[in-house]
Amino acid sequence: MAKIVLETKVLTKRYGSVTPLDSIDMQVKGGEWVAIMGPSGSGKTTMLNLLSLLDSPTEGEYILDGVGTATLTEKERVAVRREKIGLVFQQFHLVSYLTALENVMLAQYYHSMVDKGDAMEALERVGLEHRTDHLPSQLSGGEQQRVCIARALINQPAIIMADEPTGNLDEANEEVVLELFKELHREGRTIIMVTHNPELAEFADRVVRLHHGKVVKDA
Amino acid sequence: MFFLMLRQSFFRGRRRKALATLTIVLSASLITALMNVSIDVGDKMAREMKSYGANINMVPKSEAIPLEIGGVDYNPLKDRVFINESDLPKIKEIFWHNNIAGFAPFLKTTVEIAGNAKKRINLIGTNFDRQIPIAGDDEFRTGVKVVFPYWQVKGEWPGDEEPAGILAGAALARDLGLKPGDRLTVKGAGDTGREESFVVKGILTTGGAEESALVAPLAVVQRLAGMEGKVQSVSVSALTVPEDKLSRKARQSNDSLDSMEYDRWYCTAYVSSITHQIEEAIPNVTARPIWQVAAGEGAVVNKIQLLMIVVTIAAFIASGLGISSLMATTIMERSREIGLMKALGAADWEVYLLFLSESAFVGVIGGLLGCLAGAGLSQIIGLSIFGSYVSFSPIVVPVNVAVSVLIALSGSLMPSRLITKLYPAEVLHGRR
Repeated sequence: MAKIVLETKVLTKRYGSVTPLDSIDMQVKGGEWVAIMGPSGSGKTTMLNLLSLLDSPTEGEYILDGVGTATLTEKERVAVRREKIGLVFQQFHLVSYLTALENVMLAQYYHSMVDKGDAMEALERVGLEHRTDHLPSQLSGGEQQRVCIARALINQPAIIMADEPTGNLDEANEEVVLELFKELHREGRTIIMVTHNPELAEFADRVVRLHHGKVVKDA
Repeated sequence: MFFLMLRQSFFRGRRRKALATLTIVLSASLITALMNVSIDVGDKMAREMKSYGANINMVPKSEAIPLEIGGVDYNPLKDRVFINESDLPKIKEIFWHNNIAGFAPFLKTTVEIAGNAKKRINLIGTNFDRQIPIAGDDEFRTGVKVVFPYWQVKGEWPGDEEPAGILAGAALARDLGLKPGDRLTVKGAGDTGREESFVVKGILTTGGAEESALVAPLAVVQRLAGMEGKVQSVSVSALTVPEDKLSRKARQSNDSLDSMEYDRWYCTAYVSSITHQIEEAIPNVTARPIWQVAAGEGAVVNKIQLLMIVVTIAAFIASGLGISSLMATTIMERSREIGLMKALGAADWEVYLLFLSESAFVGVIGGLLGCLAGAGLSQIIGLSIFGSYVSFSPIVVPVNVAVSVLIALSGSLMPSRLITKLYPAEVLHGRR
């Protein structure tokens, strides 16, 4: 039986009188693909921010790979995120003055050591070996998202957290990105993906539906 | 990777950096120009101040007290001590010889206007504009035209080698009804006095005692007074640096200086060290600063230099504020990049380092370009204010680059604190 890599207990986030995320209890097993769905303002992104340690909960507990995160210092949270989580963004967030290859190497630099060969391999894997020296402005949306995925994978994280990874892509590029996620799933990586796209969610092992900050369906 | 990011950020984001670099260039050029002018202003102003006349007066050590009644000296020349004219070139042989702008010897005697025995007037002998033989300087010309540039002559200046040419002081000319071209015969005072005939070449206005006298070439007056090769006093015009604590201490007594202080004082162009060196070079003379002129020069130069410093500091603060606002804008513009770096695991100090290094680089480039622009600007200032080029001091380059980096860093320091306040969750998703 697969180990639980991620567990939340009564996870809550409040901003004054607003509670975008309310008492979430959830467990995710290693290698599981979980899609988080829900309408705008349902708390999907807030939940992803908490799970990727980009934000801290107001209440509740979040255990990542057996370690409680509540007592971690900011430095330790950064270190855990660096080691265990690969982030994929809807807006790609590539550094505009760095080439595709350099953007991938950036994640290596903040993780450990830069290795150009490994970065090249990561780009080859997402089918961009011919676009390594191009700046983000010279790449299509789909290509930029593939660079973003290569960057998320470069440090071999166990968990991939993606926020609307196909949200800004056309159908053809959506298909390419979907294939990449399928491949990552086959490799046994844990994927937490926020999406509006029901077709993408079909490939997930589980779909967690949020509404007004609460889990309304987990199946 | 850090240097790669730095390089790519700079070269691929040229437009973004151009404005910051331009701000630094503007301030650096202003600072370079002001520094250059500040360094040179002492010399420039000292030359300008020479138009106020001599700042050193040289007399024989045992000069008798003149007996003057109504401005006319009644003390007979034969009882007095003189300076040998042949010693005067030694003034240009002292340690600070290059700072001696000029000197004018004087010999004053009393004469009678021929046919008017009761009218006694002073006849002053001097050099107007004479070449003096100086070892190593064949072109050294000096005289009252150099030392007292404010002396004005209506008509023309007589030549130093022209025995019949003479200047009549404006008051005397008014008194005697003299005008350029008039002939005048004077007789040496006393029964045995010789007679000399002159042509009035010009009417002299000085604002001083010379306006009531006749001014003739030195050799003529020496001959008339029977004092060949002698002068009574010498007015020296020297380029000096403003007085400071050391020179004031030396003014009280040279003995109060220790050997290091003495060396520093001796090797600085204070008016007091120059007078000391003149006294060393020519025995039996006393050289005294004319403090009204020397102190006035020092005060003006000090105030101008202070003004330069104030303007330089203002330029420093203005460009620091400019950089600060540009940096704050840049951080806001690049907030997603900063958020991404933090999300990928960058510590705050790593992001700081990148941004401050970019600023320092902008400072170096801006400082170097500013030096070039400032060198040109200082020449424009020099030409328009002093009518001559300002010499470029190489020390300005490293100082200016260091100051530019300091401006860029100090301007970036406050805005870069925004980096710690940027949360990746906010900037990457646009909301919490």
